[in-house]
Amino acid sequence: MFVMIAGGGRTGAQLALLLLAEGHKVRLVEHRRELLARLHQELPTEVIYEGNPAYPTVLELAGIREANVMAACTSEDTVNLTLCFVSRKIFGVPRTIARINNPRNAWLFNENFHVDVALNQANVFAHLIQEEMSMGDMMTLLKLRRGRYSLVEEKVPAGAKAIGVAIKNLGLPDQCVIAAIIRQGKVTLPRGDSAFQQGDEVLAITDPEGARQLATLLAPPQPNGATSV
Amino acid sequence: MNFIVIGCGRVGSELAFGLYKNGHKVTVIDSHLEAFESLDPDFRGRTLEGDALTEGVLERAGIAEADGLASVTNSDTSNAVTAHIARTIYKVPIVVARNYDPAMRPMMEVFGLQLVSSPSWGAQRIQELLIDPVFRTVFSAGNGEVEVYEMRIPSCWNAKPLAGLLRTAPECLAVALTRAGCAMLPTPDTILQEGDLLNVSATFNGIQKLRACLDEKEEA
Repeated sequence: MFVMIAGGGRTGAQLALLLLAEGHKVRLVEHRRELLARLHQELPTEVIYEGNPAYPTVLELAGIREANVMAACTSEDTVNLTLCFVSRKIFGVPRTIARINNPRNAWLFNENFHVDVALNQANVFAHLIQEEMSMGDMMTLLKLRRGRYSLVEEKVPAGAKAIGVAIKNLGLPDQCVIAAIIRQGKVTLPRGDSAFQQGDEVLAITDPEGARQLATLLAPPQPNGATSV
Repeated sequence: MNFIVIGCGRVGSELAFGLYKNGHKVTVIDSHLEAFESLDPDFRGRTLEGDALTEGVLERAGIAEADGLASVTNSDTSNAVTAHIARTIYKVPIVVARNYDPAMRPMMEVFGLQLVSSPSWGAQRIQELLIDPVFRTVFSAGNGEVEVYEMRIPSCWNAKPLAGLLRTAPECLAVALTRAGCAMLPTPDTILQEGDLLNVSATFNGIQKLRACLDEKEEA
């Protein structure tokens, strides 16, 4: 895949490294002198295109007509919106991804500006922190795009209510599906009559309400013997 | 009419006051409160502190009732984005964006916006005044790519057909001829008289050729 990245700040540079490591073709467009010096230390020279990405001619010379993806990662939201719009409208880039810097501008990042995917960094972090606080040991591994579903992971502690009960009898809502159990380093795909054991790592695809119920079932027993709510 | 002006800098404050003086209702938006200090003390329109792109700010400015909106900040991407949402989301009938950096103009043109590029237009005008003080510009279209000029017919073109003059400059169109205070639509067969005022619509290139031709004749 050929990915055109606009903006060589921390986000853009990190993305370029990640994509290069996965064997993708990458071109990063940046014009700020102070950033270019650092980029040349971190990335191969052929990856960097020096120029202002807001100028359509610069994008064209950087090879945008061949790009499969435009990743607009600059620190200015209006630039990122403009980049997605120009990339699709003039250069027909099939997929556009934009970084949202200020969450209050999030409402603008949609098809009106030809933004296919908007990544709201502040929002993602805030939600992750919120979940970490409320769920104890439950980790959100992945937020599924355009929906309320997430892939979550939790380790089954000693004394959890769910231990030894068949999954079909746990009373989990329809919006919570146990996708995999990692037991002693091996992944097993559970059936309705599978049951959790202490030390299992449980992977589930679920909405927030399902996650809450799953967290209750997988919670360690309360110190005073009362059941957790 | 109701107008919204976004950005209260040099252009925005002049524009807002001009619209107000002409009897219109004006709301000026700027994210910096100090910016409103550049408004004329007699300005009686509304000022609204806020970022026009934050959800709800344009609604509070009354965009639903606006007849026109001008986005005139010194950020071209902001002007393009604001003008685009004014047109597509709020369906404002007339939307104009300021182009600050001429190098950003191709990007703004992708949005199909009505643009005013002060640097391009200013440079064009200054160039004309330096090179061509005899040809008065009476109307400037776009950002000065095409302008309507007024010129006085010199004695060397007296009693000659207009077609002869225009043949020398293909990028010129004759649009009006004023003789003794009375204007008419000229045709190629119109016979020119010394002192006629001729209006031509022309590109910069076209007017250069026409001027060169008039000069040659005068020298001959």
